[in-house]
Amino acid sequence: MTQMHTPDATLALPPAPRAHLTSPVTRAVLRIQNQITVAAREFLGAAGFVELFPPIIGPVTDPGARGAKQVDVDYYGHKYKLMTSAILYKQASLLAFDKIFYIAPNVRLEPLETSSTSRHLAEFHQIDVEMAGASRAQITHIAEGLVTHAVRRVVATMSDELATLGRSPRAFAAVLDEQPFGRMTHYDAVLDLHELGHPQSPDAEIDWAGERLLSAQHTRPFFITDYPKGSRGFYDRESRRHPGCLRNFDLIAPEGYGELCSGSEREYDYARIVTRIRETGENPAKYRWYLELAREGIPASAGFGLGVERFTRYVAGLHSAWQASAYPKLPGVVSP
Amino acid sequence: MTGLHAPAFPEDAVRERARLGAAAAFPPAADYGHTLFGASTGGASPAGSADLIDAARLVPPVFMPQRLEKLIDLGREPVYSDVDLHTAIGGFRSPLPVFLCAFGSTQVASGDLGVAVSRTAGRAGIPMVIGENVVPMNGYGRAGGRDSGGDGRGADGVLLDRLRAYAEHAPDGLGGVVVQQSTEDADAEVWNLAYSDPAATTLLDSGRLAFELKVGQGAKPGLGGMTVVSGATAAAVAEQYTVDGSVGCGSGRVLRCSSPGTFTDEILRQQIRLMRNNFPRARIWVKLAPARDIGGGAAVAWAAGADAVTVDGAEGGTGWAPTGFLDHVGLPLAECLRRIGPAAGCLLASGQMWAGPRAVKALAMGATAIGLGRAALIAADEDAEHGLYRLLECLALELQLLISALGKYSPAALNGEDIWSPGHAEPAAEPKGAQTHEHHR
Repeated sequence: MTQMHTPDATLALPPAPRAHLTSPVTRAVLRIQNQITVAAREFLGAAGFVELFPPIIGPVTDPGARGAKQVDVDYYGHKYKLMTSAILYKQASLLAFDKIFYIAPNVRLEPLETSSTSRHLAEFHQIDVEMAGASRAQITHIAEGLVTHAVRRVVATMSDELATLGRSPRAFAAVLDEQPFGRMTHYDAVLDLHELGHPQSPDAEIDWAGERLLSAQHTRPFFITDYPKGSRGFYDRESRRHPGCLRNFDLIAPEGYGELCSGSEREYDYARIVTRIRETGENPAKYRWYLELAREGIPASAGFGLGVERFTRYVAGLHSAWQASAYPKLPGVVSP
Repeated sequence: MTGLHAPAFPEDAVRERARLGAAAAFPPAADYGHTLFGASTGGASPAGSADLIDAARLVPPVFMPQRLEKLIDLGREPVYSDVDLHTAIGGFRSPLPVFLCAFGSTQVASGDLGVAVSRTAGRAGIPMVIGENVVPMNGYGRAGGRDSGGDGRGADGVLLDRLRAYAEHAPDGLGGVVVQQSTEDADAEVWNLAYSDPAATTLLDSGRLAFELKVGQGAKPGLGGMTVVSGATAAAVAEQYTVDGSVGCGSGRVLRCSSPGTFTDEILRQQIRLMRNNFPRARIWVKLAPARDIGGGAAVAWAAGADAVTVDGAEGGTGWAPTGFLDHVGLPLAECLRRIGPAAGCLLASGQMWAGPRAVKALAMGATAIGLGRAALIAADEDAEHGLYRLLECLALELQLLISALGKYSPAALNGEDIWSPGHAEPAAEPKGAQTHEHHR
């Protein structure tokens, strides 16, 4: 197993733009990232997904981000939001096409404590995928194929860059061995963490430290499924067979890199969406455009968002996700 | 003073305490030696009170095993000052079993008075709740507060100013700030703001930030918050609130209403879980209205992981409410506490609290701590810098006097045996040592 780079105090904060942009490390990382997005478009396009441009602002955005503040925009006297994620638009877009994706910028004013997780950025990008009629099994298969295809492309085309970064292609042997990624339920993940001595709440998202611990136990990416209701946004579909349990998943990178991607089957029934909105403490009134669509009917679907900077961090073997951004913005740090 | 009045409240007595502090717990010292003192009536206190808590009496026993324990501990006879009032309140440590209730966006609590109260609560180290609708109505420091100026809506009263005033004065390890969020506040993401703002870092890092989910309130159970605003303000907030110009408030002013929010047991449970998930470093409080199913509401909240449940009796409230609600809607605090029964977690009680006797009775009826609402505002109105502090000094002295009289030395030791309610007389219990087999035949 390739070890993650040792934390280095000099990596705590991004350097000034000139030093960052002209650094051989940054250049190698951004080339690798470029190959990841090329591979994503190649893979998703071949699978019949239509790429759309993501909306940047809207009257409402994804409320599901853990403790992160949204950015308000004055839109002709109305309070609009910068997208924290385009989840609502992804579901709506299925009215046009059955399979869509964005490579979408997102802004989240994350809590200050996340500046030290090595993987939170206030501005980041997601490869946002949504597929009408898909089950969780189908959409995780797509996520798995996408990750594998991108890793394969990077390994095939970016050997010099990986060498510059000291990242051995052997780190990806388990990813490229044609075996399916592992799967564990949230319940089992909590049990594993308790066995590792980590006090993980069974009702909550796997915390960052816990995720890192689990991640470090694995050599190939793996899915955690069935998060409890109360740990995710209202749009993740609740199991009919097991109420309180969501038909969702996270994809966790190995070697301690942690979460790459979150996804789920979606709620699409109007009454269930309104009820779930209330369960997350939100005011349904502000979701009017979305709820009007839902009342008239939106397709059942499943989808995911794969964090581009986090995925790049894993592939390039970086200490921090900010190294995978040309203009990194760490939570709470004033930067260009 | 601002001309603030609270006609349904013992305002004069609170103002006296705000001026005199602990001395107000006794008759005027100048009268000593010249006046005969005694209870005003031979029975219930105060005479004829319809309030079940006020009508009840605290009843010290003859035999005091807990006083013996204290005596052994101290090696001398205990006195009232040996009562340790320190109390764990919703995940915080407080020097008194007292916290400051939310005042909401009601006009009297905004501006300098709100900040003065925050400063004093901080200095005293008692937890303080900052009310709902503060951000959408009064702005938030980072976006529209003192730096931007000129918005004409009392930038001093904004959330961050209150947070800052509290944090700057709070002693290490004591107290905490509780930020309330209502359905409309969710649009302004009050909790996300507080959780991600550098101004809250000190409190967050020391475990002294909590978020309160407001499920209801005492003055108008079943309704949301209400304030009277100018036509211009109404236009500015019309997208978020119901604005009603038909109620004849006069002077071109209109009624601004929050929605009360819809709750089922599952909605309450999941909202609390989501709060714990999203804000793992903050404590979670839940405020319930004096509803008929309050026992179930409190049980769900504790089971979902709430650090505190606040019960606001129908006699509570600082703000605007329909007159029909004030005297006719909601359970009185005593009945709320009875329906909750033995608390499965930290239970906080508010409603007409200002003096020691009512506070001690509420503690004996199951509350962990009591909340000051109107009393705190009146005290600060009497003397912005020292009024609330003096009120607290007087309250602390009364708590010590009363609790020690019951033969107990901490608020947590109080329970139902310490209280007697007229018409609910318990059968006289024999001292345990006197019970015999024969006695029961």
